[in-house]
Amino acid sequence: MKTILLLLMVATWIGELSADYGSTYQPKTHKSFLIDNAVIDVGEGQGEFLGWVAVSGGRIQAMGTADEPKPEVEERLDANGLWLTPGIIDVHSHLGDYPSPSYRAHSDGNEATSPVTAEVWAEHSVWPQDPQFPLALAGGVTVLQILPGSANLFGGRSVVLKNVWSRTVQGMKFPGAPYGLKMACGENPKRVYGSKSQSPATRMGNFAGYRKAWIDAQEYQKKWQRYEKALSEYIAWESTKRGSDYKARPSPPKRNLQMETLVGVLEGEILVHNHCYRADEMAQIIDLSREFNYQVTAFHHAVEAYKIGDLLAANNVCAAMWADWWQFKLESYDGVKSNVPMVHAAGACAIVHSDSATGIQRLNQEAAKALAAGRRLGLSLTDSDALTWLTRNAAKALGILEQTGTLASGKMADLVLWSHPPLSVYARAQVVFIDGVKHFDREQGIGPVTDFEIGQREEIF
Amino acid sequence: MKNFVLMLVLLTGSGFCLADVLIKGARLVTDNGETGEIRDLRIEGGRIVEIGVNLIATNQTRTFDAMARPITAGLIDSATTIGLAEVSGLGVSYDGEVSGDEMAAGFQVALALNSASTLIPLASNDGITRGIVVPEPGDSNFAGQSAAVRFVRGSNFLQRADNALHLYLRERDRRHAGGSRSRALSQAVDALKEAARFERQREAYDSNRLRPFEIGHDDLEALVLVLSGKMPLVVHVDRAADIRNVVDAFTAFADVRLVLAGVAEAWKVTEILLAHDIPVLINALDNLPQNFDRLGARLDQARLLSVSGVRFALMSGSPYSEFRSLTQAAGVAVAHGLAWEQALLAMTSVPAEIWGLEGLGKIELGAKADLVIWSGDPLEVSSAPVVVMVDGDWVNLETRQDLLAKRYLEVLNLETTD
Repeated sequence: MKTILLLLMVATWIGELSADYGSTYQPKTHKSFLIDNAVIDVGEGQGEFLGWVAVSGGRIQAMGTADEPKPEVEERLDANGLWLTPGIIDVHSHLGDYPSPSYRAHSDGNEATSPVTAEVWAEHSVWPQDPQFPLALAGGVTVLQILPGSANLFGGRSVVLKNVWSRTVQGMKFPGAPYGLKMACGENPKRVYGSKSQSPATRMGNFAGYRKAWIDAQEYQKKWQRYEKALSEYIAWESTKRGSDYKARPSPPKRNLQMETLVGVLEGEILVHNHCYRADEMAQIIDLSREFNYQVTAFHHAVEAYKIGDLLAANNVCAAMWADWWQFKLESYDGVKSNVPMVHAAGACAIVHSDSATGIQRLNQEAAKALAAGRRLGLSLTDSDALTWLTRNAAKALGILEQTGTLASGKMADLVLWSHPPLSVYARAQVVFIDGVKHFDREQGIGPVTDFEIGQREEIF
Repeated sequence: MKNFVLMLVLLTGSGFCLADVLIKGARLVTDNGETGEIRDLRIEGGRIVEIGVNLIATNQTRTFDAMARPITAGLIDSATTIGLAEVSGLGVSYDGEVSGDEMAAGFQVALALNSASTLIPLASNDGITRGIVVPEPGDSNFAGQSAAVRFVRGSNFLQRADNALHLYLRERDRRHAGGSRSRALSQAVDALKEAARFERQREAYDSNRLRPFEIGHDDLEALVLVLSGKMPLVVHVDRAADIRNVVDAFTAFADVRLVLAGVAEAWKVTEILLAHDIPVLINALDNLPQNFDRLGARLDQARLLSVSGVRFALMSGSPYSEFRSLTQAAGVAVAHGLAWEQALLAMTSVPAEIWGLEGLGKIELGAKADLVIWSGDPLEVSSAPVVVMVDGDWVNLETRQDLLAKRYLEVLNLETTD
């Protein structure tokens, strides 16, 4: 018994120390159903087929082409040739943290009080009644990552949410999704702290700040490793009381929330999402990750990712990008419309993200714009390639590809039925399922209305 | 194809093109890029002089074969900042607002415009040939005067320096009037009354025999133009209750040409807008309830306005972020119920009419030859202009971004089909 306890403690000490704050999300039960006669793109970049998807217990039970035999289900839904894709996943959102209405009283996205605030968690700021969540749902978004803002070198932990109406953020949390750590390069940290005459005031100051924090994290990690070792020695001694020396039970070091998050990265439990615009800075960040032996999961915004697609591919780093935002700050000056397709063509993991409560409502169109720009440049890309930027690749960057992001048997039934081909400007999400439960149906007028909207705003779709 | 466009650009050189142009086989698009009659267009002296079938080219004529692609009039963006900033954010290079003045009606953005801006061809790449460059409020509800521009780099960028006077009465603009929108509106009305007093007694003003004005001379002159209807007054306002008050206040001045912009809740007061024939400018993607003035913001506002008969034009607001594509916004409005043709009109003939842009916004005999030939449905996000003509001259569509992308295609040795 004690051995089991010890093993558990060693294996899960981070989780244990992180207390709970766990997901309480429980999908509603639903009748098993089958969507028939849909043009299906499973999100793997392999094109479309006319067929069906069967859903049972919140999961995709089976899929097939039109002529393949279908399982028995309780309900059938004829898609009449509409287009079916995995739910859209936005890896970069601030919904709930920067809600509408956007008053200072509700603006909780950026703890811009110190360059290192790895101790803050975005989920503690999320207002679940933000009316922007249902607007994103009407755009087909089923999963989104809420990140802290980019004022700080280390902005804090992100949280991955299912886009479901809930009284609490715990009721939205994607069960088992890893946490992310928001880091930021470039203009924002140096501007925010430089203007207060404190470090960082320059890009080199940014890097000194990252390195100092990682050195502290390594030390903290060692301190806990020493404690774990001493504890296991004590427990071994205590169970037998053999040996000459009396051993005192060691006391644990004092917890440091900031360091816990950074150590979580060093241990591979927490994924790094790094706001970074310029190619040269991304290359420097990759060196930083080598110095401290951690993996950068994704660069966000990455408007110059097209310059280093090879480097991103070689280091297995995704780039999450806009289709055509640029020139709003100097570090975005070299943005090009073909950024996303060029990263894709270089063999790296390309993602289209929003960072915007309006953009999140039409990520499919943003992917379409990027695709068209790539084709005009002469790159060979399919519509299906572009869909992976919103589904599979996004799920990969959030560490949830095993559960969602593509359509496959056993995966979560996060599905969108579109009125037109999904990359068309005329395409609207007609029906959105999350874990097999219909959360949005445009024609039937089904969709969440937040508490904020009650009695004053209900005609939103 | 690309080579042909490049050749055209080389031939037309600095933008002067005295020879005739014959556009063969262009589709006068009416719906989704698929319907519409196919016609030839002859261009002479910057105007459309003939529309027909099987028009004959002369020796001097340069011919462009549109190959049945859609053609539209050049689009007009009713609010942009192209030309006012190379990099908009964080005060890097933005000239669109003035601080420290309690009254900035006399401020014109025109003198700050950069006709060499690298952003100008971006507008062309969205099929936009004309735009209204709009000031933002610094410390005054009267932010200044917008300029009408044509999106051609270098020559004759500025078309009109006193396009319209802009007054901001949105929720956050209360701060320029001591904290209440009530005072913001009453101060604006008082300013117009003062301008009327000034106009009635110019001689006395010039000889210093008048009760002094608290408003500067250039501000008074701007307001006089508004009073006489020579310059439209654009009021940026969102809340239905405020729209009512604004209409009441300014329709009391007989000749004021009122235009409303933003207008998140215009759909709630369409009967008032119709009664006074007041056109509105909308950002068709702006559906967030960002404040209590905008609780009625919705994506199908364009449809609601169209159904009720209110004239509206589309504006992008900012070319830098959120979105840069006016046609995308129009497409989204169509997806939410607006008739396709109405969406096109909201970027062509309606804004031309609102801004008094003679000869623009229509493809007809005698119209200015601002023309866009599209790769597909002009409102579809995958479509782009194949060629763009302004005042009869082909526009160079190449952007700095194109050159950067091409450089890195080579650096990374990425495979292309070209």
